[in-house]
Amino acid sequence: MKQLRLLARACAVVVAVAVLAACGSSSGGSSNGGGGGSSSGGSGPITIGASLSLSGDFSADGQAFQRGYELWVHDQNAKGGLLGHQIKLDVLSDASSPAQVVSNYQNLIGSSHDPIVFGPFSTLLTLPAARVAARYGYAFVEGAGGGPAVFGSGLHNVFDVSVPVKDNLVTFARWVASLPASQRPKTAAYATVNDPFTQPQIPVAQSILEAAGVRTVLSKVFPAEVTDYTPIATQVSSAKPDLFILGSVDVPTVSAFVHTFIQQHYNPKAFIATAGPDQGATFVKAVGNGNENGIFVPNGWFGGFKKADSQKMVQEYIAKYGGTPSDVNADVAEAYSVGQVLAQAVQATHSFDNSKIIAYLHSGVTLNSVQGPVKFDSLGENTAQQTLTFQWQNGNLVQSIPTSVAGASPPQYPKPPWGG
Amino acid sequence: MIHPGARTAAARPPGTLLRRGLLGGVIAVGLVVLGIFPLVVTDPTATSIAFFTVVFMGAVSAWNIFSGYSGYLALGHAVFFGSGGYAVALAARDWHVSGGWAVFGLLPFGGLIAAAVAIPFGLIALRTRRHTFVVVTIAIFFIFQLAAFNLGFTGGTSGIQLPFAPFSPTTYNNPFYYVAAIILVLTVILSWAVRRSRFGLQLLSIRDDEDRARGLGVHTRRVKLAAFMISAFPVGMLGGLYFYFIGQIFPQYAYDPLFDVSLALMGFLGGIGTISGPLLGALVLESLQQYFTQKFSANGLYLIIYGVLFLAVILILPGGVVPGVAGLVRRWRVRTQRQSAEAADAAPRGVAGAIP
Amino acid sequence: MSGTALLQAIVDGILTGGVYALMAAGLTLIFGVMDIINIAQGAMVVLGAYLSYELSAKAGIPLLPGLLITVPVMFVLGVGMEFLFMRRVREADRAAMSILVTFAVAILIEGVLTRAFGVDYVQLHATYIDRSIYVLGFYLPWIYLIGFGLAVVLLVVLYWMLYRTQFGRAVRASLQNRTAADLIGINVDRTRMIAVGIGVAVTAVGGFAFGATNAFNPNSGYDLISRLLAIVILGGLGSIGGAMAAAVFMLVVNDVVAVAWSPTWAPMVFFFALVIVLSIRPQGLFGRSGVRAQ
Repeated sequence: MKQLRLLARACAVVVAVAVLAACGSSSGGSSNGGGGGSSSGGSGPITIGASLSLSGDFSADGQAFQRGYELWVHDQNAKGGLLGHQIKLDVLSDASSPAQVVSNYQNLIGSSHDPIVFGPFSTLLTLPAARVAARYGYAFVEGAGGGPAVFGSGLHNVFDVSVPVKDNLVTFARWVASLPASQRPKTAAYATVNDPFTQPQIPVAQSILEAAGVRTVLSKVFPAEVTDYTPIATQVSSAKPDLFILGSVDVPTVSAFVHTFIQQHYNPKAFIATAGPDQGATFVKAVGNGNENGIFVPNGWFGGFKKADSQKMVQEYIAKYGGTPSDVNADVAEAYSVGQVLAQAVQATHSFDNSKIIAYLHSGVTLNSVQGPVKFDSLGENTAQQTLTFQWQNGNLVQSIPTSVAGASPPQYPKPPWGG
Repeated sequence: MIHPGARTAAARPPGTLLRRGLLGGVIAVGLVVLGIFPLVVTDPTATSIAFFTVVFMGAVSAWNIFSGYSGYLALGHAVFFGSGGYAVALAARDWHVSGGWAVFGLLPFGGLIAAAVAIPFGLIALRTRRHTFVVVTIAIFFIFQLAAFNLGFTGGTSGIQLPFAPFSPTTYNNPFYYVAAIILVLTVILSWAVRRSRFGLQLLSIRDDEDRARGLGVHTRRVKLAAFMISAFPVGMLGGLYFYFIGQIFPQYAYDPLFDVSLALMGFLGGIGTISGPLLGALVLESLQQYFTQKFSANGLYLIIYGVLFLAVILILPGGVVPGVAGLVRRWRVRTQRQSAEAADAAPRGVAGAIP
Repeated sequence: MSGTALLQAIVDGILTGGVYALMAAGLTLIFGVMDIINIAQGAMVVLGAYLSYELSAKAGIPLLPGLLITVPVMFVLGVGMEFLFMRRVREADRAAMSILVTFAVAILIEGVLTRAFGVDYVQLHATYIDRSIYVLGFYLPWIYLIGFGLAVVLLVVLYWMLYRTQFGRAVRASLQNRTAADLIGINVDRTRMIAVGIGVAVTAVGGFAFGATNAFNPNSGYDLISRLLAIVILGGLGSIGGAMAAAVFMLVVNDVVAVAWSPTWAPMVFFFALVIVLSIRPQGLFGRSGVRAQ
């Protein structure tokens, strides 16, 4: 009996090894013309590889990122590609799993020999992926891995084109602090999910606000795995703070708080959420039409941004996927900016050599992107961009703070009543 | 007078020597393939997938030592995986272990921590049986996950970084692969040794009928707890290795419910309670899963394929692949044996057997 | 911590417990009757939510009347699942193999939903969802009251079905001793099939309650399943009333700890409580010991 089982095992092992070997050779053999990292001879297409979360926890953002990358590839190819080569985008899915993201970048860089790679979504996946890239000496330009853990890791090849997350709420907090004492909120409540993206933002904002005399009535951290936000949301509404700051990473969190506030007949004078309201139509549908007005969200970008290349990208997105500028997910712009920054580095160094790209990006040069200027410090953070704060007004997401920015729409304060 | 050859032939069923030779050959082939795989298939994607596959093969084999032999379905082994991972990460950071081969030396420490964790875990969980036991293991798993998020020394949501290993990029995966392979072989030997020992027999008797086993004098609580700890040790080591490979340990990945379910799935698919079953289950599932995710992940298509494949296997081979295949082979052999017996009846006597 | 806040938390817990009870009721029924750990329960709740969404958003059928359609549809699904998959699992391995089978079903459901609806979050909408009633100083949201009410109604209906009908007797008989039930002429296979169908049909209502109180996408089922399993075991196998009590207990503990101490520790306290209760009373709060050989 045992022997028979082992016989079965042997056959299976042989079969499985054959399958694995076939996988190995087929994924290796699928590399496209463009060969190694530095040659730019010939005019065959070059492949840019990326791993994205097309399923799993980050699927909504992963999909937006894919659209952003694809839009950029399409636009760049229309301009003649990179150094005369048309670009081909090779996207693998990582199902929001770090083990998969490691295998994926080993595939893209080690097997397929894609000369350039883009980053994945989320700090949680960026870290392991960046390490793989670092081993091969690849530049790792990304738009969604901005948690402090990324910059404290000791890696020199990571470049985050988006604003470092820690300071996301500073612009808003400063504006609140600048309000005349009679208008300024007297009390504030803070609630955040325990995520490396949101958690670092709260203390920064809190210290600015407390220094301006805004009393903290509640400050809570809640787990990401919770499926029931009502106790925290109800607790906030019972405390009736003038100002509510929510550290969220997705739409369901914000939606749960909004609905509970409405049920509890509580309307804060000001409400800002770190993520969720930037997801366009999905956000509005979840909270209910009319309920989105007055909610602030910090970001480096929004659909109505009055910058030429941004507006062009938005128009193309709408032409392809429908909707209005406010419906465009901010992730799309982050992804598009990654492409732009890489293109500028490639063109400046006249090569696809990753070490030259890394050196160039660390050289202190200021680059352009749909999100605004990009300049990297030694850790790879983008120090050139300021966080803008946006607000939903009359069904549109508009840039509101700093009020000095051209085209800014003055903030609606206090927040209008729930209109759903 | 009895011919000497007749005695020898009558003492062993026909073909045993052949079968034992075949068994030895199979094991040898398996070890050779395991040993030379990364040298032959140098593609880093394949070796990366192979690394994860070998890790899971080891983890499932270890899980099987407890769940397979005792019949208690444990869905909390991620506790050992994650605890081993954190132990290695914290040790590497606080004892200033530099990246490279030295970190591999920390793996047994990870295993020890996991085995230590198994003691209170087991003492609580093993008071219950069957479905209740399953849920208690899940509950304790969540306690650990939440503790990892909230307790300061685990680094909270940002997790802990593991040292950089200065291996050359083209063969980076190989050292990890080989360490995993060594742990796998040791775990399989452990599993085999347990199975053949009296201790293993006691475990199996618990699976068959625990009350009767207790009545027959088996110290069931002690036996179960010991098996629980033994199965925790390799899983802890593999956890440390896994997170060293990835480079960072986060609470939600260290304590991942999908890991628990995957172990059970791989064990059942291959055939729980056997030695080769878990190996087969992990081999097939893990490599297929990574491959499918890379190629088909968009739009949930791979989920559908996966689910359908699963259901097909379960329905055709409901006991798991290995017992299923063994069953098929056995039926085939019985049929051929009957045919040859009928043929022998028709043949002149005195030819078969004794006379050399 | 003020008394009002504490009371509010308790009230919240009770009401949300109703929603969870709705989601878990089907699970405990299937669990109790079939000895099956239905890992697909979370996915089925999401499926029920999507069915309600499809009817209300695309066909304009309001949520509550829409249940008249989604419940029978899910019933057929449950019957089909039992007939095609669960029945083929060998009796001896049933408890364990059920994990494999239901996991595969869960993956399938998630894959199909992803293809059909994409990964964007959606939520069920109705005018009463944001409205609440003011009672004794507290705002009680209508949707939670409706959810709680539905849970109680379902509890009564299922109890009546299990204890006052022939069919229910057949279910309980097959639960206690399959061979004996067979011997006295009960068509055990058909009984089980219908019981599973009912269990899944009930989940449609749970899906409605879930979808009305949370934004969801095909991936949302995963977070649910561990809590649902815990509720069902704590309540006791096959006991619908037990599932209700356990759901309320779980949510009240969760909410009180979240408010009094910290939301991050709340789930941990719940699981601690679960472990303690189960160590002392392994059959759960309302399960009967020795109903089946443990």
